[in-house]
Amino acid sequence: MADNLAMLGQALWGFMTPDALLHFAWATLLGIVVGALPGLTATLGVALLTTLTFKMAAGDAILILICMYVGAIYGGSRSAILLNIPGTPANAATTLDGFPLARRGEAGRAMGIATTGSFLGTLIGIFFLATIAPILAEFALRFGAFEFFWLAVFGIVISGHLTSLEDPLKGWIAGFLGLLVAMVGQEGIHAYPRFAYGSTDLAGGLGLLPALVGAFGFSEVLMVMQQPAAEVVRMATDRVIPRWQDIARYWRTVVRSGVIGTSMGIIPGVGEDIGAWASYAAARRASRERAQFGRGSVEGLMAAETGNNAAVPGAIIPVLTLAVPGSAPAAVLLAAMFIHGVRPGPLIMLEFPTFISEVVAMLLLASAGILIYGLLLTRPLLYVLAVPRERLMPLIFVLCTIGSFAIASRLFDVYVMLGFGLLGFVLRAMKYPMAPLVLGLVLGDILDKSLRRGLVLSDGGLGPFFTRPISLVLWLTIVITVLLSFETVRQALGRLLMRRPAAETEP
Amino acid sequence: MVKADFVTGLVLIAIGIATVVESLRMPRFEDLNIEPYTVPGLVPGALGAVILLLGAILFLRAARAGGWRLGAGGATRTWSADPGSRRLALSVALCLGYAGLLVGRLPFWLATFGFVLAFVVLFEWPLAGSSGERVRRLLIALVYALAVAAAVTLVFQEVFLVRLP
Repeated sequence: MADNLAMLGQALWGFMTPDALLHFAWATLLGIVVGALPGLTATLGVALLTTLTFKMAAGDAILILICMYVGAIYGGSRSAILLNIPGTPANAATTLDGFPLARRGEAGRAMGIATTGSFLGTLIGIFFLATIAPILAEFALRFGAFEFFWLAVFGIVISGHLTSLEDPLKGWIAGFLGLLVAMVGQEGIHAYPRFAYGSTDLAGGLGLLPALVGAFGFSEVLMVMQQPAAEVVRMATDRVIPRWQDIARYWRTVVRSGVIGTSMGIIPGVGEDIGAWASYAAARRASRERAQFGRGSVEGLMAAETGNNAAVPGAIIPVLTLAVPGSAPAAVLLAAMFIHGVRPGPLIMLEFPTFISEVVAMLLLASAGILIYGLLLTRPLLYVLAVPRERLMPLIFVLCTIGSFAIASRLFDVYVMLGFGLLGFVLRAMKYPMAPLVLGLVLGDILDKSLRRGLVLSDGGLGPFFTRPISLVLWLTIVITVLLSFETVRQALGRLLMRRPAAETEP
Repeated sequence: MVKADFVTGLVLIAIGIATVVESLRMPRFEDLNIEPYTVPGLVPGALGAVILLLGAILFLRAARAGGWRLGAGGATRTWSADPGSRRLALSVALCLGYAGLLVGRLPFWLATFGFVLAFVVLFEWPLAGSSGERVRRLLIALVYALAVAAAVTLVFQEVFLVRLP
């Protein structure tokens, strides 16, 4: 423990250089702005910055990306409160109570609560990241090809289920389409170019970053332009500095939401959106002021904003220890780490022993950043929200084009961005979640190699896939998740559970 | 949504079948004496089968809910009359024209200038009430497009050292 603290102190001290502080200052601010602008998500922000920072030193680039990530998830609360439009999907639950508060003339109080909630949520998430990640990394050393195969399937099934609760089928379709798209290009064992048909561009595979910039940038530009124009920003008048009693009174909600948010972050491909919704639902169930929820409840707002920001460090936990992303922005972060020569995964504590504490230090800095900016820069941020979309969106699209081109300097990537933008737009219009698709793109390679390596190890036998203890837990969870999504199974189970207590009461 | 699901189901079934067929046609390298379980077509084939299955479930579900009644005439008419759809069509055309055609053929700053100018002018034109305001908006758009083209080109080439198309 003392060792870890010393390492953390060293990592923090390492960022006390003018360069690093400058990067931290602009990246967090840019993140808040990106998050606050409807149509710009954390995923897009991190993806664009990855393409633009890939010539920087690894430490600086990853610091910038983490500040962008934390800032954007927090910044989205601004437009949620003031415009009733979530700045990023993670802030959808924030609109429920944030906007009614603003309408009552308490926009400043709402922003103060959102800032405190996001700050505390990030801190709780960081605590779990610092304590769980090293243990999980050691545990993950027991993962072989069989376990990684099931982990990939598990990620797709759980993510597809949780991001599309009303219709898990669409979540799974999105996830498996992502896996399928990841098959394009040279495979990792015999270097055979799949689905390439003689094209060298296709043989190189469809890049993750251009695909994400398309699905989250171009398709979002189209979404924003299709919607009717948003109403004008209302200016905050009351105080933004949060009242101590608002925080002290709801400390249970903060801790609960922090824990729920972090756990949702850890589950592959689930992330901030569900972190906020799950925390909000739990707070509502436990609250004595349940009737206030949806009408401007401070507790509801606190739960939503604590939950989504706690999911950020949560989503980074599997990135570092398993190389499996916990959310869509974390998927980009994972890709960025590989670009910069850091190989996350079970070996991280051996190969890069200081990296986890460095990430913890970066997250601590970012959380301090949102607290400072959130409480000081209320008004300038309001002006950003007033930029008309007709001027902002062409600029965003230009950045998407540059970003897709920047990594490999090939026009093919720009076309991939366009294709995924249109595909993402159509899929989202039909209510397919994007997170499982992203997860599929990332996990395709792991799934492919692990299944084939596993089969070689077992000499074609399927036994080890089902009998090794970790595999057993994973595939059983998958089967149960799939079964429970069928209405008939749930009903049968419900009847079974109802009958038993009744039978016991009979003499 | 039911109609969309019906069509999507059909598309997914087609993708699934095509993937399985293509995976079966992938080489198996028998002459190279490789492990038979590592053939490149194994995983894509399995994924194609899963997509086929999921697509079939979606198709059957939508068919049972009446998605086979595919008359789309009325829907198309209301769709094209909706101002949101018109803005969408215009955005798609502008973005595809810029990134798909102009970028790579024209100098980047020129393509960007033209794109931003066209975007702002075409979308703000209907918003202006008087001809005086139109001129004002046109001037703003010109200045804005120039500024974006210049700033983006300079910042990315000189500060971030990124190569531009």
